[in-house]
Amino acid sequence: MSQVSIPNVKIAVIDGDLLVRDFVSTVLMYCVNRDVLSFDNGKAAWRYLEGADSPDIIISEVDVSGMNGFELLAKFKAKHPDKKCLLMSANPEDEKIARDSGADAFLAKPVSVSDLFRVVEAFVV
Amino acid sequence: MLKVGPSSGEIRRMSDEDIFLSRLKLLIIMAKAYLTGCPFGEYRKQAIIENSRFVFYHSLQSVNKVVSFKNRDLINQTGFGFTGDPHEEHIFYQRIQLLAVMVKALAQGRLKGHFREKALKENLNKICEALIFNFNVDNVQFLKVA
Repeated sequence: MSQVSIPNVKIAVIDGDLLVRDFVSTVLMYCVNRDVLSFDNGKAAWRYLEGADSPDIIISEVDVSGMNGFELLAKFKAKHPDKKCLLMSANPEDEKIARDSGADAFLAKPVSVSDLFRVVEAFVV
Repeated sequence: MLKVGPSSGEIRRMSDEDIFLSRLKLLIIMAKAYLTGCPFGEYRKQAIIENSRFVFYHSLQSVNKVVSFKNRDLINQTGFGFTGDPHEEHIFYQRIQLLAVMVKALAQGRLKGHFREKALKENLNKICEALIFNFNVDNVQFLKVA
């Protein structure tokens, strides 16, 4: 795994569950001291992500409405191969698919604060 | 590919209690980071206030549940390992509410003075003891810059 440092990092979180989405966003906002974008479905996220001002890192739930996490990963990586895409899931079978699809990280749920700290250490600082 | 989180046998959807416990731990880390002298920054303050608000309201609901159980002479149903004494659990949630108020105040620059800081430390210690949660802020480098 490559260690990278991204100044003024821009992060987006995509999850249909409001409580999870807000929790992940709050932890990341605290860690990086930057605003964190959040979306409740894949289509709305993609409309934003395909633009020029797209985030450096996206963290998406696999099972999200509109466009699932794997579709989002494929489209995001095709358009921005140098940016990071991390997938979250409550389904253990998704880990292998995430690996084969080229995800940069797999966050198994329930996600803890220390898991998100590890993500920041690995991809932001 | 980096893998974080539980092993495949323990993967499951996040419950309300998972979120509350994780946010409570985040609140403890936020307080410890303040006491260690970690800098804030505008978005970090916003995250602290949002997290304090969530923990406060969730623990308020939990206090009401404990009172309700007590009134109906039921044993506690939470996952914090209490001995079944509703009084002990009630005090625990009151301490969490106090912590939420204290941490929100520190983000707003209102937690000033030696004795307020001492009260924060004591309250933190009691909550960490009950949760059996130990976290060393010194091990997290990114908290030292804002």
